[in-house]
Amino acid sequence: MMRLTAVVALFPDLRETEVLAWVERGWVRAAPTGEEWEFQDIDVSRVRLIRDLTHELAVQEETMPLVLSLLDQVYALRGQMRAVARAVEAQDEAVRAAILAAMRG
Amino acid sequence: MKDPYEILGVQRNADEAAIRAAYRKLAKKHHPDVNPGKPDAAVRFGEISAANELLSDKEKRAKFDRGEIDAEGHEIHQQRQYYRDAPGAEQYGQAGPAGGFSQEDLEAFFSQHFGQAGQRSDWGASGRPRHGRDVQYALTVSFVDAAVGTTRRLALPDGKTLDVRIPPGTEDGHVLRLRGQGGPGYNGAAAGDALIEITVVPDPRFHRDGDDIVTDAKVTLKEAVLGASLEVPTIHGPVKLAVPAGSGTGTRLRLRGKGIRTGHQFVQLQVVVPPGDEPELAAFLKDWTPRANVNPREGS
Repeated sequence: MMRLTAVVALFPDLRETEVLAWVERGWVRAAPTGEEWEFQDIDVSRVRLIRDLTHELAVQEETMPLVLSLLDQVYALRGQMRAVARAVEAQDEAVRAAILAAMRG
Repeated sequence: MKDPYEILGVQRNADEAAIRAAYRKLAKKHHPDVNPGKPDAAVRFGEISAANELLSDKEKRAKFDRGEIDAEGHEIHQQRQYYRDAPGAEQYGQAGPAGGFSQEDLEAFFSQHFGQAGQRSDWGASGRPRHGRDVQYALTVSFVDAAVGTTRRLALPDGKTLDVRIPPGTEDGHVLRLRGQGGPGYNGAAAGDALIEITVVPDPRFHRDGDDIVTDAKVTLKEAVLGASLEVPTIHGPVKLAVPAGSGTGTRLRLRGKGIRTGHQFVQLQVVVPPGDEPELAAFLKDWTPRANVNPREGS
């Protein structure tokens, strides 16, 4: 759990207003606690990702919602795929082989 | 670490803009967070970042070029964290949490059973011929080189070199496929291909319109009224251009055959009124009545 000042301190080229704008747009889901924002580890990683995309890769601000939406969908799909993989792994050898054969067409 | 120029696919005399363009293109493609299924993306991205770090710093680059430092000291990106490795990324997606199956388990499961992403699996079929892997490279060329065509030497990871012929008129983002120059095939199958993505660095002097080249040329008021002979750059080198008397801003002159392949170059004139005080010109204009009294703001 980190506060805004601590998060900003991790990145020499980020200012508080910039990170706050990301929070306001819903790109980073920091949790409000009183007058402060609290950042979980995943939120800090998210700040690092958005910093890379804007500062390093020159992704334009108006394009960012599209990029983040597609990334979030990829990560969500990977989560679902993990669940499927786990379910398949838990089956008997014969069932697994049948599923794999079906998937390979 | 490999040669930073090779990693970014730029020539040793590439300018800052070319290096930045090459870096951004490669970084967009290989950023680990946009490649969550490729464990080696972090290594590749680390190399790209380190190469950019070195070459975008004038002092470091000069020291490297003089051989005073090597590329080793700059692998500072290898240890950094990535979003894809942080637990809880699902909370940002629409779908709820989907089990605690670890990433490694997933990779192991799918790579074991389905081979590399997008490829048909060879699972259970060892000894069957398998086509070699396609290998990706990047090359950055100047606008002029891409327009007229050039040949560039690419150093391959195995120490061999490959002469890549870049055909005239190659566009930014074009991918050249060199058959059989990729990974080796197995059990008698053909080798994979080398896929070379071309980045074209824009040139402020030239704009491309299909196979035509469009450039701007500034002329003085005197040159526009009296006519002149100018030297203008073309992608084939500088040429003389005859500006006819009575030209104006927007006059478009054609240089036949000076474009890409069979295209032409079009030169758009821009008349520049002399800066500063020109009392003689002002006095002349005050007394001057044009023979054709045209109001340029009214439609003709």
